[in-house]
Amino acid sequence: MSSWLDYTINGLIVGNVYALVAVGLALIFGVSRLINFAQGSIYLVGAYIGWVAVVQLHMPLPLTIIVVAVAAAIVGLIIERFGLRPLQNSVRIAPLLATIGISFVLDQLVMLTFSPNPRALPSQLPDVRFQVGGGTIGPLDLLIAGVGLTSAILLFVFLRYSKLGWAIRATAQDRDAAMQMGVDVNRVNQAVFGIAAALGGVSGLLVGMYYNQIDTAMSLQATLKGVVAEVVGGAGNVPGAVIGSLLLGLVESYGVAVFGTSYRNLFAFLLLVLVLVLRPNGLFASARQAPPEPMTGTFIAPSRPVRIPRWALLAAAAAFAILPLLPVSFYVLQTLINAWLLGMLALSLTLVAGTIGQVSLGHAALLAIGAYTSALLSLSFAVPVGLAVIGGGLMSAALGTLLISPSFRLRGHYVSIATLAIGEIVSLVILNWESVTRGPIGISGIPPLSLFGYELIGPSSIYWFSFGVMVVLALLQGRLLGSHLGRSFRAIRDDDIAARAYGLSLNRYKSLAFIFGGFAAGVSGGIAAHLYSYINHETFNTQQSILALTVVILGGLGNVVGAIVGSVALVGIPEMFRIAAEYRILIYGIVLLLLVRFRPQGLLGTM
Amino acid sequence: MSNIDRRTLVKGSLAAMMAGAAFSRGALADTSEPILLGVSGPLTGPNAQYGTQWKQGFDLALDEILAAGGINGRKLAYNFEDSQSDPRQSVAIAQKFVSDPRIVMELGDFSSPASMAASPIYQRAGLVQFGFTNSHPDFTKGGDFMWSTSVSQADEQPLLAAYAVKRLGLKKLAVLHLNTDWGRTSRDYFVKAAKEYGAEIAVTEGYIAEERDFRSTLVRVRDSSPDGLILISYYSDGALIARQARQVGLKQVICAASSVYSPKFLELGGDAVEDVHVGTRYFPEDPRPEVQKFIAGFKKKYNGIEPDAFNAYAYDAMNMAAAVVKIGGTDRRAVRDAFTKVKDVSSVIFGTATFDVESRRVKGAMNAELVVRKGQFALWDGKPT
Repeated sequence: MSSWLDYTINGLIVGNVYALVAVGLALIFGVSRLINFAQGSIYLVGAYIGWVAVVQLHMPLPLTIIVVAVAAAIVGLIIERFGLRPLQNSVRIAPLLATIGISFVLDQLVMLTFSPNPRALPSQLPDVRFQVGGGTIGPLDLLIAGVGLTSAILLFVFLRYSKLGWAIRATAQDRDAAMQMGVDVNRVNQAVFGIAAALGGVSGLLVGMYYNQIDTAMSLQATLKGVVAEVVGGAGNVPGAVIGSLLLGLVESYGVAVFGTSYRNLFAFLLLVLVLVLRPNGLFASARQAPPEPMTGTFIAPSRPVRIPRWALLAAAAAFAILPLLPVSFYVLQTLINAWLLGMLALSLTLVAGTIGQVSLGHAALLAIGAYTSALLSLSFAVPVGLAVIGGGLMSAALGTLLISPSFRLRGHYVSIATLAIGEIVSLVILNWESVTRGPIGISGIPPLSLFGYELIGPSSIYWFSFGVMVVLALLQGRLLGSHLGRSFRAIRDDDIAARAYGLSLNRYKSLAFIFGGFAAGVSGGIAAHLYSYINHETFNTQQSILALTVVILGGLGNVVGAIVGSVALVGIPEMFRIAAEYRILIYGIVLLLLVRFRPQGLLGTM
Repeated sequence: MSNIDRRTLVKGSLAAMMAGAAFSRGALADTSEPILLGVSGPLTGPNAQYGTQWKQGFDLALDEILAAGGINGRKLAYNFEDSQSDPRQSVAIAQKFVSDPRIVMELGDFSSPASMAASPIYQRAGLVQFGFTNSHPDFTKGGDFMWSTSVSQADEQPLLAAYAVKRLGLKKLAVLHLNTDWGRTSRDYFVKAAKEYGAEIAVTEGYIAEERDFRSTLVRVRDSSPDGLILISYYSDGALIARQARQVGLKQVICAASSVYSPKFLELGGDAVEDVHVGTRYFPEDPRPEVQKFIAGFKKKYNGIEPDAFNAYAYDAMNMAAAVVKIGGTDRRAVRDAFTKVKDVSSVIFGTATFDVESRRVKGAMNAELVVRKGQFALWDGKPT
């Protein structure tokens, strides 16, 4: 039994670590209604500035903390001023995507400066340890807990009793009203970003010292855990973020205790989904919070779509169809095959995110379900590959819709967070459900694509096959959008209350959209599985979900042609910059930022 | 089993003609144009550090090959394409390499999904895919153009088990392993061998690569009361586990797989990795001349930095590639056949390396039994810790 005390203490310690990131996220969300995906990158920057201060300049710890806090705050101010303020009057998706772009840029800059090798960040605190339960606690554990709790209390006091704090809260409640009352909203935003970034930077330093290890891949995990903790606690609620973090730490620790280490993150994300379903505003959301976000439509930029004449579309399709007959290299064909596979995923996402307004950040899960289904059907049950791929599509449609359906009643940002969690859950289930998925070993020897007994193995035939499938799916989707059903989808997106008043069943229509979307994504995953011949749980990861979302925004939400144009562009751009090697993700991030800044409604506009 | 697509044939022969044209041009410039290898590996993304380490190992080997007169008078060079270890990118890179007539052999990719997704393309095009970090048991089953100098875990793990059970006398073991194809395969081979040597496995725990916090896992380990901890880890997570094990009060003997062997393990682990036992495939103080030459060259080229295992794999792989190309020349099929002909290539990991034609891997990795003493790796003197 004494072990439970140890599990509890360990859960609280790691919860403290999460709290350091979550508090900054909560502060920003409270004021700007923005989930700052760059918070993890500021944490990364803080860790490396701390490394320079400690290891190269031999600064004492108190001075290091001040230097890191100030430097990180400056980074935060720069992000606010140049990355986010220009997007103030833009669509809601724009700042969200901008923070993703900024995180790419910051992570890459750190990596290019310091190399990707992990570094040791020694703590200068004395190495005394106090016996607690079966384990021990050291000074750094206490310092982390102290910083987490103190900053939460200080922020609480600051927000409640200082003038700037009032201004911040007023802005959080009603930006326009605050502005009319003479609050300098920009200054408020700046203050918030500065404080949040300082906290983020210091947390990177402390966590780096805690593990005696920093590396350039640590930012995404920090962001993910911070977002989970923050949403569990109640987005925008600073004390809630601390409690949410501790709760997350405890749930993970007890999860390990009962089920073993490989289930750890599964419980984190299950907790998130459970909280979102039962208390969509988090456990500690107060009744006097800002008005809830609308159910849907938050992210849609009003625009007039670019109409492409039918003959131009036909000509483009014909040109792509005859491409393999021309002397182009297999490399170009293979790159385009990737674009067609991404195009199917983008069609799926543009339907659910663009047409019906449910922004999904976990769409790679649908690929994975389709891929595993198709691979296992053809390997274990000897189903012909063509049918297996269709089976993958059907399974993605059914299972995907079932998994996502609890999120149908969520609003705005929460939909994206729920889908992010579902994506992670699917990946972890694949890792752990060994009797079916073969766990970490993955599935190898998947038979190549074939049609009516003929194997498609040359790049040209795979090219035609995937292009053909994508075109058929695109035509079906175009037909769907032009029909009554498509208009109902858009009605739900634009005003769900009006749509409901008109008699539309929201859940039923959202399910229909996910069924169509799930099928397209599942087919894409199925084809990929047969193309690669080997898949494992890492083949379809969060990065692909983010890529798909970027494609859809680039092309224009809900825009069928836009999804395909976006896929060709986003598969093509990194390939074109292949020559830039280490710099190409940096370039990609900058391109994303410029796009969000100057054309938030996408290249072809929202349908 | 017939190829549906005849146009590919037509196009293929067109491509061959063009390649031939390129080739005859190449033949004129024979001695000035370097012989080109393709490398597909991560330079950005979460595995970027390994690509960087590869480059260091490659470049050192290439310097030495050039100093020794090159490949029959020609330079050897490589074209490193960044795949981020992402299968979608590694397949595109594969198409790029197979359709580039200058490329005579491909090296990489780093991870199994990225490597094995590209295998069918290399196999069909008849270009050798030489994977030197691919220990996935199915990698070389992708076809007769897949070759590997990655030590099969079936080979390595029994050596670690012998070190832990027979030499250190550990009877009840807790195994912590990275939950990837590599970690999982290694764990299975280790557990099997350890049981054969008479040890009991108290608990096995798999963790994911991004994991940083192991305290709760270690409480589970403690509750199973083992007398030894086995880490099937890379150096960064291995150091984290060792630190946290000492912090939560575990004092058991720790034994780790060769993949933790890196100066970084000592730097990241600090005092906590003192007395950790490591079975490794190469060791700087190993008096073998191959090893000493590698270390000296590496330190000279990179300002005194100590090389680690991934540097050594890359260095060995480049030397092996050079030996193969020396026999096979620039014809891709002849290069494949040359893998069956190379004998006793000087190698840091194997001493001398010769391929087993059946498994298309090299057998007989060297094994040194090390222990961390006073913050340094040292040969184990046989005394219990």
